Amino acid sequence: MGRWILFFVLGVIAILMVSPLILTVFTSLKPTTELGNPPWAPPVSPTFEHYVRVWIDGGFSGYFFNTLVISAVDAVVMIAIASLAAYAMVFIEFRGKLALQVLFLIGLMVPVTAIVLPLFQIVRGFGLVNTHLGVIFADLALAVSVFVFLFSSYFIAVPKELHEAARIDGATEFQIYRRVVMPIATPAVVTTALLEFLWSWNDLLLRLLLLTRDEMRTLSVGLLNFQGTLTRDVTGLSSGTVIMAIPVVLLFLFFQRHFVRGMTAGAVK
Amino acid sequence: MFLDPESRWAQRLNLFLFLLPALTIYILFAIYPTISVVEYSFTDWDGISPERNFVGLANYERLFSDKIFWAAFRNTFVWSGVVIVINVGLGLVIAAMLARVWKARLLIQTCIVLPVVISPMAVATIWRWLYQPTGAINQVLEVVGLGGLATPWLGSPDAALYALALAHSWSTIGLSVVIFLAGLQAVDENLYEAAHVDGANAFQSFRHVTLPALRPVTAVVFILTLTQSFKVFDIVWATTQGGPIRFSEILSTYMYKRGALENQYGYGSAIGVALLVIVSLATVVYMQIQSKENR
Repeated sequence: MGRWILFFVLGVIAILMVSPLILTVFTSLKPTTELGNPPWAPPVSPTFEHYVRVWIDGGFSGYFFNTLVISAVDAVVMIAIASLAAYAMVFIEFRGKLALQVLFLIGLMVPVTAIVLPLFQIVRGFGLVNTHLGVIFADLALAVSVFVFLFSSYFIAVPKELHEAARIDGATEFQIYRRVVMPIATPAVVTTALLEFLWSWNDLLLRLLLLTRDEMRTLSVGLLNFQGTLTRDVTGLSSGTVIMAIPVVLLFLFFQRHFVRGMTAGAVK
Repeated sequence: MFLDPESRWAQRLNLFLFLLPALTIYILFAIYPTISVVEYSFTDWDGISPERNFVGLANYERLFSDKIFWAAFRNTFVWSGVVIVINVGLGLVIAAMLARVWKARLLIQTCIVLPVVISPMAVATIWRWLYQPTGAINQVLEVVGLGGLATPWLGSPDAALYALALAHSWSTIGLSVVIFLAGLQAVDENLYEAAHVDGANAFQSFRHVTLPALRPVTAVVFILTLTQSFKVFDIVWATTQGGPIRFSEILSTYMYKRGALENQYGYGSAIGVALLVIVSLATVVYMQIQSKENR
């Protein structure tokens, strides 16, 4: 009996949690004539016209492509640089290792919001304002610590003898990294790819500062602008929101376990 | 052991090549700005002109007597308070319920965690629409007979800050639930057995077994939620931009206005330093608890 009450309460909570998303999808599919109906009424004759309008006239196809490029490059490069650095920290002996760990620790503590002003100046100094490269560098720098520590935690579990044996067999450090250590750290690779992609996809602040030309913009800035100019365009805004949400929602549904593990591990960021 | 110099040099080169990409990007675009924000905060720089003067503590003196700064400071703490109460309190209750349900557990958990991956910008757009004077929330209140509570949420000086904090909570509570669930799974089953044998009911065993066992996890969620709240920018910027007047102004939006929009780089940086100090302190405490946990 108690179990059923529990089940019922949880069901209500679950429905409440997803309802804002469902209402948004409903609205995005309603023809203009149905906008007078209550928001919880499903569309009677669903239409994709708002999606087409936002995608083509609203410029969302370009925003989508820009966002995809930045996020994908972020994810791939992050896997490479974070795992290489973590390898050096775990397997190569050198002086100043502790100092380097502390240096990377700082990256876990500094919130992006606090340092955006000087960050903008540096990106401008390199002539990278309004380039995707500038955003990518900033993204990588601000999250690399999280993933260096993530990879380190996997590498530490690799038996030292394995590394020694490979050295004696004449393998170079890079060969050991690629053939021995990285295959063991596959879960860390997946987590890094998913989390970095997600953070990059969702970020607004850096893109707002660094990308001012419309053809460079990402979905987050596009949506913000769209909201500013077309406040009353409820259907356009909701289809834009759905376009922005769909890729990460799909990723989440397919890789839920990895996401959950990664988010609890990278929660500090 | 014999170390031939050549392999030592090779090892040095290896070290250099492995660390170079990450370190270069990290130092240039994370460490250097962190040092710069402190440096800027002692100047009167406008962010554009080649000239900047050292002004000592002037920006900090201004900060301490700036009523808007203190309002933003207070609002940031109120925001954190609201989100902590919901994410820790409700998050724990939901996790505890979820741990006792087997049927459709994954489906329910998915629904609760799903909002976590939604972009704060999308969250802002959705909730701005829900909170409209004629929006879904007021319509629901009307239907269930609570029409008297209907208000233009984001336009109201009393409600805007709380309404936005609630939206933030919606989009982050899933993470708390997941962390609590992991904590719950680590609680010793025998303790529940013993409590049951001693005649404890479900509420008593929650109060006397679950809660004490979860104290460290609760601390983690508490500080995590606190730091997340201090990092918020998008949800406020994309809805009220701190308004009406200053009623939903938080530290990040105030810094952005002064620094990026009004070109008061020195003063904006001083606000940034305040944010930096608060979040760093909270993160250090967080890491302390975490490492104690893992030991």
